[in-house]
Amino acid sequence: MTTHYLVLSALLFSIGAIGVLIRRNAIVVFMCVELMLNAANLALVAFARMHGNLDGQIIAFFVMVVAAAEVVVGLAIIVTIFRTRRSASVDDVNLLKY
Amino acid sequence: MSTLLAAPPGTIPAPTIEYTQLAPMMLVFGAAIVGVLVEAFAPRHLRSAVHVPLTLLSLAGAFALTILLAVDGTRNVAAMGAVAVDGPSLFIHGTILVLAFVSVLLFNERLQFVSQAASVPGSTEEEDSLEEGAVQTEVYPLALFAIGGMLLFSAANDLLAMFVGLEVMSLPLYLLCGLARRRRLLSQEAAVKYFLLGAFSSAFFLYGMALIYGFAGSVDLAKINDALGSASGRDTLLYVGAALLGVGLLFKIGAAPFQAWKPDVYQGAPTPITALMASGTLVAAFGAVLRVFWVALGNLDWDWRPVMWGVAILTMVVGAILAITQTDIKRMLAYSSIAHAGFLLTGVIATGGPAQNEEALSGILFYLVAYGFTTVGAFAVVTMVRDAGGEAGHLSRWAGLGKRSPLLAGVFAFFLLAFAGIPLTSGFFGKYAVFAAAVSGGATPLVIVGVVSSAIAAFFYVRVIVLMFFSDPAPDGPTVDVSSMGTAAVVAVAAAATVVLGVLPQPVLDLADAAAHSLFVR
Amino acid sequence: MELYAPILVLGLLAAGFAIFSVGIAPFTGPKRWNRAKLDAYECGIEPTRQPVGGGRFPLKYMITAMLFIVFDIEIIFLYPWAVAFDQLGVFGLVEMVLFILTVLVAYTYVWRRKGLDWD
Repeated sequence: MTTHYLVLSALLFSIGAIGVLIRRNAIVVFMCVELMLNAANLALVAFARMHGNLDGQIIAFFVMVVAAAEVVVGLAIIVTIFRTRRSASVDDVNLLKY
Repeated sequence: MSTLLAAPPGTIPAPTIEYTQLAPMMLVFGAAIVGVLVEAFAPRHLRSAVHVPLTLLSLAGAFALTILLAVDGTRNVAAMGAVAVDGPSLFIHGTILVLAFVSVLLFNERLQFVSQAASVPGSTEEEDSLEEGAVQTEVYPLALFAIGGMLLFSAANDLLAMFVGLEVMSLPLYLLCGLARRRRLLSQEAAVKYFLLGAFSSAFFLYGMALIYGFAGSVDLAKINDALGSASGRDTLLYVGAALLGVGLLFKIGAAPFQAWKPDVYQGAPTPITALMASGTLVAAFGAVLRVFWVALGNLDWDWRPVMWGVAILTMVVGAILAITQTDIKRMLAYSSIAHAGFLLTGVIATGGPAQNEEALSGILFYLVAYGFTTVGAFAVVTMVRDAGGEAGHLSRWAGLGKRSPLLAGVFAFFLLAFAGIPLTSGFFGKYAVFAAAVSGGATPLVIVGVVSSAIAAFFYVRVIVLMFFSDPAPDGPTVDVSSMGTAAVVAVAAAATVVLGVLPQPVLDLADAAAHSLFVR
Repeated sequence: MELYAPILVLGLLAAGFAIFSVGIAPFTGPKRWNRAKLDAYECGIEPTRQPVGGGRFPLKYMITAMLFIVFDIEIIFLYPWAVAFDQLGVFGLVEMVLFILTVLVAYTYVWRRKGLDWD
């Protein structure tokens, strides 16, 4: 039973990770990161059910709060750079290189 | 209905919090919260005058409390197993607090930080705020939050507290990276890169934590270690989880192949923030790496050691070789920081029996102190060499600095020699302690790679020294800004620490030995 | 079955109140006509034309939305405490008050820095 949740969670995590690597819009990249966090939440809750203790569920709460804080900080940074450059494409973020 | 009501309600024992043992951390967080209140209620012209003493006093107070705890001799896990109070964590806390204190001395919101973060670079709005003399004093509470996060991250005794500490440390740093006064586009770009990559890596850490929880049924480091012994048939979870956890942690220390963010972020961030990241974050992240790989995955060392070997070798080589091709002083120091992370990893690998672990741990602790001071000093010098447009970042601008300002160039040359690990500098004893532990831990090939890459890096450091002392200064060369007492004091303290640790390292070595003696509490 | 009786009663009460309120309104309320009342409903504000390509929203929305998310999500910690507050006793209460005070500090910052002003 837990396996189903884990497979779904692993799929979500992989979709998120691939999205981070191939998408170009900073907002979409960031949404993919959030997808990875939610995949972890699903796994945590599934494991909590499997082990019969509540640790996993409590951890999921913490992850949600951390994710919300991350959204606020991340959007602030992305909006700042968008207002400067009128573009949120990560390909345009290219001033710093070797 | 009756059966439902008759079922005994699950009793939850009220948890206990050992406030005295958590006092250093709580003082730093408390000061950060007071700092937010200052931002909310103090009139604009008074804010800076309140923030600087508040920040420095709270860091000094937290350091004093850490010393009291260390003298007191309590070694246990506090806050229901969430935070470890033991020799290594107290030593690391002391180190972080001192390094943070000197980094905060470099803060100068009129010189280095943006006047109004929300204004678009080059806009009339920005000009107005500059004329008005507006300053973004939020940098002080943000830095305090980041420092508090470092304390929690390095002392966390379960993976949840470690994750929360990691985020509390990282989120303010993402913001601080984007607040440079000059070259704001570069700074904002550094913030975006650091944020996206940092969030990506912490997602890996989190998923690793979830899988480890699935394996062990707990995120407590000691319980994970206990679960390693029992054959549960869930080994896949363990191995994948440990690997993902490792990715998240190695990203934070900037080990190859997760080092790509470091040069960009170090270059773009305001230099005092770079100093804070290069010293405090690195120390905190190594505290966490040690705790995860030695305490939680200690019995799994046969499985993670080969991977760590590869990572350490790659990190040392990449750091040393890419440093040679750099033309920007801060990027060069960033690659040097990557190479140093590799040297420190050789110490992490050198596990064995308790005596061996003590030797390796003591070496790592000493190295962290030595490297932390030198790197803060080096970045402090970088803030002092200024062009009309801000800091003179390009190396060609540093040509002939030795003729223009022999003292400053001499001190910087000394820091570079310490990075290279020349005898009579702190870097030498740091490298010696870690490499000696690695040799006795059976990692001699690693040490050979380490020595070779030290030599490669030394080549570049010497090139910078030659550039400073043996080429002619450009007519419109940078000026040396000695107006800030704080910065001058930081350079002096860092230089003194580098000399003292290089000539008389014994007291600090003894302290590190004592801290390492009891190893980690479980 | 009788376990669900209170829920049923509550549902009936809620439905009754809703029907009563909506039913009585045409007879008791004042009738003032304005054009916005006949427009499509869009969160209580006047509908705006959809710009080509999805368009861009003013940043004001984002700041309000971010503040909402951050303060909203903090409440998540109140739920586990609310379930077990009697067993956690004074300790739990004190910790929760400390937590809410910390959130309040963030709120005062937003308020004093005009983060809550719409214009």
